[in-house]
Amino acid sequence: MIQQHILKSIEEASKVIGKTWPLYSFVTSNPLSGYEKVSFKDAVNSAKDLLNAKIFPETSLYRQAWEQGEIEKNILIALLRENGLSKSPEFYLQQMQSQKWVQEKNINHDLDRIMAKWLAIFMDEGLAEWEMPGKKDGFYKAWRKLAIYDSEIGIKALCEIPKTSSEALAHVLTGYSKEECTKIFTYHLAALPGWTGFINYRIESNSLWQQEYPISLEDYLGVRLWIAQQLKDQILPEIEKDETDNMISKLQYIWLKAWEKSWQNQLIKTLKKESITTKPSRNGEPCPDAQMVFCIDTRSELIRRHVESKGNYETYGYAGFFGIAMDYENLNDDLVRKSCPPIVSSAYKVSEIRQASKNENMLAYKKKNEILKFGEYFLRRMKNMLPSAFGYVEGSGFYYGLSLLARTLTPGYFYRLKKKNISSYETFCEPEINSATTQDEISLQITLDEKVAIVKSAFDLTGWKQFSPLVLFIGHGSHSANNPFGSSLDCGACAASPGRHNARMLAKLANLPEVRKALADNNHFNIPTDTHFIGAEHNTTTDEIVIFDSEVPDSHKEQLLNLKSDLLSAQQTATQDRFGIQGNSIALAQRKANDWGETRPEWGLAKNAGFIVAPRALTKNDNLDSRCFLHSYDWELDIKGKALEGIMQGPMVVTQWINNHYYFSTVDNDKFGGGSKITHNITGKFGVVQGNGGDLKMGLPLQSLFQSDREMYHKPIRLSVLIQAPITRVTDILLRNENLKTLLDNEWIYLMVMDPLQENDIKLYEKNMQWVPTTEEGVREENYRTKVDVEIFDEILI
Amino acid sequence: MTLENNLQESTQNSIEKSYKSFSLAFPKIITSFLWLLFTGNLVYMMYYFPSIPEWSLGGILRVNGFTILILTTVTFFSALVSTYAGNYLNGFRYHSRFMALCLGFTLSVMLFVMSDHIILFLLSWLGMGFFMSRLIGIDSNWGEAREASKFTQRYFLTGTFFLSAGVLLLAFESGKFTVSGLVSSLNELPLYIVSIAAICVITAAIVQSAIYPFHRWLLSAMTSPTPASALMHAGFVNGAGILLALFSTLMFASNTLNVLFIIGGLTAIIAQFTKLLQVNVKQKLACSTIAQMGFMIMQCGLGFFNAAVVHLILHGFYKAYLFLASGEAIEHSKPQKPPQIRIKPFQAVVVLFFGILGAILFALLTGKGTELDSGIFLTLIVAITVGQVTYNIVKQQSLSVLQKTILPPVLFICGIGIYALMYKWVTALMAEMPMVAVPRSLSVIQVVFGIVFLVGFFIMKLGIYRKVPWLYVRLLNVSQPYKKSILMYKSKSL
Repeated sequence: MIQQHILKSIEEASKVIGKTWPLYSFVTSNPLSGYEKVSFKDAVNSAKDLLNAKIFPETSLYRQAWEQGEIEKNILIALLRENGLSKSPEFYLQQMQSQKWVQEKNINHDLDRIMAKWLAIFMDEGLAEWEMPGKKDGFYKAWRKLAIYDSEIGIKALCEIPKTSSEALAHVLTGYSKEECTKIFTYHLAALPGWTGFINYRIESNSLWQQEYPISLEDYLGVRLWIAQQLKDQILPEIEKDETDNMISKLQYIWLKAWEKSWQNQLIKTLKKESITTKPSRNGEPCPDAQMVFCIDTRSELIRRHVESKGNYETYGYAGFFGIAMDYENLNDDLVRKSCPPIVSSAYKVSEIRQASKNENMLAYKKKNEILKFGEYFLRRMKNMLPSAFGYVEGSGFYYGLSLLARTLTPGYFYRLKKKNISSYETFCEPEINSATTQDEISLQITLDEKVAIVKSAFDLTGWKQFSPLVLFIGHGSHSANNPFGSSLDCGACAASPGRHNARMLAKLANLPEVRKALADNNHFNIPTDTHFIGAEHNTTTDEIVIFDSEVPDSHKEQLLNLKSDLLSAQQTATQDRFGIQGNSIALAQRKANDWGETRPEWGLAKNAGFIVAPRALTKNDNLDSRCFLHSYDWELDIKGKALEGIMQGPMVVTQWINNHYYFSTVDNDKFGGGSKITHNITGKFGVVQGNGGDLKMGLPLQSLFQSDREMYHKPIRLSVLIQAPITRVTDILLRNENLKTLLDNEWIYLMVMDPLQENDIKLYEKNMQWVPTTEEGVREENYRTKVDVEIFDEILI
Repeated sequence: MTLENNLQESTQNSIEKSYKSFSLAFPKIITSFLWLLFTGNLVYMMYYFPSIPEWSLGGILRVNGFTILILTTVTFFSALVSTYAGNYLNGFRYHSRFMALCLGFTLSVMLFVMSDHIILFLLSWLGMGFFMSRLIGIDSNWGEAREASKFTQRYFLTGTFFLSAGVLLLAFESGKFTVSGLVSSLNELPLYIVSIAAICVITAAIVQSAIYPFHRWLLSAMTSPTPASALMHAGFVNGAGILLALFSTLMFASNTLNVLFIIGGLTAIIAQFTKLLQVNVKQKLACSTIAQMGFMIMQCGLGFFNAAVVHLILHGFYKAYLFLASGEAIEHSKPQKPPQIRIKPFQAVVVLFFGILGAILFALLTGKGTELDSGIFLTLIVAITVGQVTYNIVKQQSLSVLQKTILPPVLFICGIGIYALMYKWVTALMAEMPMVAVPRSLSVIQVVFGIVFLVGFFIMKLGIYRKVPWLYVRLLNVSQPYKKSILMYKSKSL
């Protein structure tokens, strides 16, 4: 009985922590995902109290936005007025600036430190040669056996400690009510949110490490509370009164709203103009020379613009996992990684098989790979063992000196050299899809229907009409050196893996004659026989597009060659655009991709602020400054609204995660982000801590979000989704999907709909299915509502 | 009135602008200056090698081959680290401060090896520690970094205190106030004075090199930006090697070489075991440094001060590289069992054969171990290393027989060859210094330690340590950073 209520309390308490993803597959998720069921304002307030976190942008960021004209004066002043604040914005900036953050002693210093020590050694994923003894028995039991030797805790004999964590909890918590238990758990889980978030991740992902070395929140709390009792630390926290000025929170919220509204206004103005000038085109247009499908990622916007300007090319935006819910088995290390959005469970497993007649390449590759692996193992052994460590340093030191020079002075040169010599296995392998469910450890084959469905939905969702001879599916990946956060720059829709394999898989499926036949037979799509699909990858650091063309028929070779030269010149202009320089932009990008001292190899998804679901025609003539996710969608081809529903359930939720992650890691980089990279210390091969140790860092580092310690790059505002579709269709979808409606009602994101049936009027979603016009009058009406919001907000604060 | 305001504003603007351009230009200027210093030293050394002219300035400064060697080394590291930091610290609000501290540190080391007068000598030693602790606490808004900075500063002050005590004691007893004067007049002093002074100098040396029980400062120094750590591990901790080389005659006169040998040897073994259980990459590197420093001090204890200097330079390359690349340790992997150790008789013969071959090559090229003296010890380590190289290669199934035969000799010839070159080079540059390469006759202690090393080797090889949980926890706690430098503070809004 007691145990049951303890478990329930833990579950209730655990929503205070998010999920800390390992850096080798870093998913930008919402650190407050446990609170998505309540409103943004309630959630941030809870976070403020429980995690002691900053929840709104710092005043210096507001000031920068204000000075750069990111916040429109009339919007801000109107919003302030509506809330009875009549002084100048400058005055309120000053007032917000009066809020100071100070450092005070951590009252649980020893407890937190000792916990961090034990968690770090238990969770290690092979950085240490000598692993924590008894790890297999799970965290609590392993700790229990070693605790008696830890003079810091002061436990003399093994029999003093209960055998299991639930016994320990029951013992420590006797006399506390259920509510008090929840409070205790919340407090102690929130003490090290990075580490507890990682426990959360391990439990949910059930990784190989978790299977081998299990840990649970109950184990964590058992150990922590037992040590707390031993150190005579407080078990039940005294509730600290929030001393911050309510007025300041209110102001910060108004400023945030004004900032978001200003951005929406800008976006509306841009798109309105387009919707008038560009009429949606129907068949009869000349077929483009090639079509390219990019990820919805904000970085695609720039390269698409530049590719389109180079010739008669058409581009589409589609979630970068290309609709294949798959895990991918990498040929390099035989590890199976998720390669689809974390919200989707993997139905397929994709692995590599050799292309016909390329057996030799495969064998040579495997041999080379084995030798490389041996090299790594060899060096590790030499460094670790006694006394070879000393001899090794003397024999190899000079060569390390040479590498020091080479890597520091000529990273760009070595990048080009490496690229020339690399034999990537895409040239002699092809992906093969199987079911993720296995029978006798053999993956089952999948049916033709499933293959057809995958291909069909790609064209359905993006509103495809006609097929060019060349159609490229272009995933994306990033190159950077010495970068613990490298995977955060890869494709978010592929669970932080590079997207190339999904792209190659879809191309292969779409090239299958039986799939094409089925598509044609059922009157879905008639793919011309001279259309060939190819997988490719956009390197987001250098803007190079690598095409996996080893199986392209000769008939298409020439066209492909033309395309390649256009893509090269697109790379040139795209990098020039990105760096704001004229010459040598590719060399600069290549240096950034391989410079071990580069903390900002590229900007990832920073600056993201909008998600546009509409045909490319609507955005094609605008420079959106890489601030928008773009999903192609044609409302006229999607009569039942099924495609739109899919986009809203999938990509829209993923972009919300990304945006919320960027928001929170910007407003409190130390708590929700990773802090500065320059003092990072990698722990256990999966995470970083700052300096000498402490809590595991859970989010993006300062260098991914800020231009410098003081100047912002990412603008911390909530995502505005804009869909071009009849409003009734969107309403229907929201009615069918309670979770999406909750997300909007709770203001984690904004939704605007551009209704083509009403002259492309744009309306903004408001709580409980109300649609507010965004005309001039609309702004005023909006303001009134915001006032009500703020009043509600006041109540919460008081 | 408005005009005045405008004027004021514009001057303020221009001041701000010039400050901004200054803070952008400053790191670049210093970096160029450091590269210039390095190139100058290198060219000078190459030009005069092997007989660098001795030069002295009235008992205040002096320059010889050894001085130039260390100057070249330290300017190389600081120039390289500055270049790296140029990108790495881009946007860091204390970038200029970092560069200034780097420069200050480099100049202190330069002054240290150049100074002859003991006041200058001691002040520059103090300066090195001062600048290093400032680099550790460079982010003054960060509470834990401030604590770490204060903590390390206490160690460095302790080190300086002992060094001053030892040097001043000798100075006042002998009436000489230059380093060169001191070391040449040791035999006129009573043994107890020399011994006390030697113990003081040794203490200063092992504080600097983070030798047990003074190791904790190095494990608590990760609050410094990564390039500062690289500089620390390549150009600061190894100060002991330089100090002991300068005072080699003191060690011989006081007969304290065995003390060095034992302290160094024990630290080398313990730290190498401690390294195995580190889960943070920078602490792992720090443990490795401590072990390497132990080894360096052990080399001093064997009478090979020149070998210690070679070691400190090569280790500098090695460790600077690993620190600057410490962001590469993220890896998706799966749980693995520790490898099973089994070797076939034929493989054992091959291992033994190449081990002996490597030892012979080493002995021939460096002259160490050709006679029955303490050099044997170093040759033994080379033999075991070559044996381990061979062992790992012959065990590898993916290599062909030909590869297995060729790879070990290629590797050990490359390794030993380049080491021997460095060794000869350094020995030539240190030729003018007294007593820096004096092999000692083989003693019982050396033999005992030789055995301890072999036992350590087998314990590690067979993985016996894994079965001793209390040792794990003991070493874990010994290697924890300073308490107050972790999770000591919380931020709070007012």
